[in-house]
Amino acid sequence: MANYSSDRRSLLKIFGAVGATCAYPFASDELFGQTAEAHHHEAPATHEDAQPQFFNKADFATISRIVDLIIPATDTPGALAAGVPAYVDLVIARNTDQQLVTADGLRWLDAEATRAGSKKFLDLTEKQQLSILEPLCELADKTNGLARGRSVQFFALIKSLTADGYYTSRQGLRDELEYKGNSAMAEYPSCVPEH
Amino acid sequence: MQTNHLYDVVVVGSGAGGGTLSARLADLGADVLVLEGGPKLNTRTDFNTHGLPWEFPFRHIPTMKPGKPGMDGERSRGLGGKTQLWNAVSLRFSERDFKGKAHDGAGENWPFGYAEMKPYYDRIEKQVGVCGNYDGLEDLPDGIFLPPVPMKCTDLAVKKGAEKLGVKVIHVRKATLSRPTRTRPACHFCGNCMSGCDVVAKYNSYDVHMLPAAASGKLTLQQNSIVYDLPVSDEAKVKEVRYFDRETRAEGVARGKVIVVACACAQSVGLLLMSKSSRFPTGLGNSSGQLGKNFIPHITAGFEAFLTDFIGKPSVNDEGFLDHAYVPSFMHSRKRDYPRSFGVQFNYQNHRAVGWARSMKGMGASYKQSIKERYPAYFVFTGYHEMLPNKDSYIELDPVQVDEYGLPRVKRNWKLSEDDWKLHNDMKKWCRDILVASKAEIHSESAAPASNHEVGGCRIGTDPRTSVLNENCRSHDVPNLYVVDASVFPSSSEKNPTLTIMALATRTADHIADRLKRGEV
Repeated sequence: MANYSSDRRSLLKIFGAVGATCAYPFASDELFGQTAEAHHHEAPATHEDAQPQFFNKADFATISRIVDLIIPATDTPGALAAGVPAYVDLVIARNTDQQLVTADGLRWLDAEATRAGSKKFLDLTEKQQLSILEPLCELADKTNGLARGRSVQFFALIKSLTADGYYTSRQGLRDELEYKGNSAMAEYPSCVPEH
Repeated sequence: MQTNHLYDVVVVGSGAGGGTLSARLADLGADVLVLEGGPKLNTRTDFNTHGLPWEFPFRHIPTMKPGKPGMDGERSRGLGGKTQLWNAVSLRFSERDFKGKAHDGAGENWPFGYAEMKPYYDRIEKQVGVCGNYDGLEDLPDGIFLPPVPMKCTDLAVKKGAEKLGVKVIHVRKATLSRPTRTRPACHFCGNCMSGCDVVAKYNSYDVHMLPAAASGKLTLQQNSIVYDLPVSDEAKVKEVRYFDRETRAEGVARGKVIVVACACAQSVGLLLMSKSSRFPTGLGNSSGQLGKNFIPHITAGFEAFLTDFIGKPSVNDEGFLDHAYVPSFMHSRKRDYPRSFGVQFNYQNHRAVGWARSMKGMGASYKQSIKERYPAYFVFTGYHEMLPNKDSYIELDPVQVDEYGLPRVKRNWKLSEDDWKLHNDMKKWCRDILVASKAEIHSESAAPASNHEVGGCRIGTDPRTSVLNENCRSHDVPNLYVVDASVFPSSSEKNPTLTIMALATRTADHIADRLKRGEV
């Protein structure tokens, strides 16, 4: 039996359900796992050149590499060109749980790298890096991000943030997905069979 | 603020209920004050209607533009209330929705039926402009419509699938203009309808109802005034409304012959519960003990899916005005083992967020490709069903928690009964079946029932022992106190409540004006 009682936070969610995010009754309802309070920050126009606020240089480089492997450049820009590492940094800088998961994950990656004969994850070949990450990805997918293993939680977190950051960027939404909305139409066209 | 001025009517809240009622009263010559807890808004300039996610570091598009107050919390939304942010779906309740108990013995009847409400629906639709198709359905009465907006290609795929199961899909009915009026342009289909509409093609009570009425001089709008107490006099009347300024916290009093509470369901109930006195120790007008009870929000279940016919197709601009189609209630004519019914809203996502990309499998180029292919095929399907009143579903004041103004928080409690669960599960089954018949692959479905559209808690009725208000939305206990929002609905139907809130508000305005004219208050 669902027994539901709401405080103000969940109310904001309901309000969201009525308002701006009504379109997403689940999954992206709580957009990008952030609370409503986080949304009131003002915007710099671009984030591509931003210096990391939270990660040190080495960790930022590792995160950037993972992000790049999750959404690589193809015939369209990938996550790096879309400034996703800076977005990941921005979000994690405000969430201590995510910081702990990330710290554990990064340590775990370097330990795996040592086992593969290198000091650092970044020193491995792409093939070696993928052989570490792909099993994590599979486990994360299988458990819907609710895995108990720290390393899987870490990967699921970075994948989610990469997806969020990339597909809300100009490169991801406009160049890759060819988003065409937010424009003015005089009439909404009737559907013609080949759309 | 002229604290000594005695208004004919003081209205607390400016949304669908308060906005509609106050404008009607002003038209009829009453001297009306509207107190709104939130700030004044400029619908045309204050919202991020045309924002895109990459303009914001956290990629969430804030409702308001930088530095513009409003819509930032429960008690401070702004003039127009939730009609600024609604999706504008406008459905008439049917005779069966008003008289459900007479059909199946469950829940509670309204004290009147469709015939009583029809002229008020007519009036409201003419004022706000509702687009839709004349479908001739028993369970969803036709209204006075502007031409419908064409369905999207993806809607037509679902229509075809649903028809295989004998289920009708109709054009959505929305208070968004498909043709311009003398004062408002038609919709331009920018696809961000749950933000403020910057051209007011989408109805909001501030621009469409209250501003023109205020120009007549009969309607005074006072924003940033958070009402916290309705004290009762010795003769069991409410003669004044106590409020404080949202920004300065300076206290104020407004006096009226009639007081109307219209703060959007739970907040209205909360205000009445807060207004305790020795005469009404459990809340204003609560001699029945029914205040807060019979909370019956709509219960929803959502699906995300990909329509396989559209996977890999080129991306098109089909955000439109969000949902263009609707699955109206169809269970009343089918055999089932539960009372009441459901409807399904669908395809009301816009395409500037891709939250589902998180849960697509894999990584690398193939992952990226699978998202690109499915982007034109993504689709949401959300069923809404009625729930019946039960003792575990009620609105109360939190005994401990207070809000940023130090006022008790309002708590909503709800729990599905066995019959509600049967309806819920059957609704999900029908949703799945329609999706499968439409050749959709289901990507996710909501794990637990969720609530939307708050309804009930202050219901109308003929029996003062089982209802808080009479058939004119007037308190059984306090003869000059009225409530006009969805809290007054004795049963909720599965249909979006706003059009009925407005129809009821304009009807209540007529009744109040009549009493004022006769000198009864």
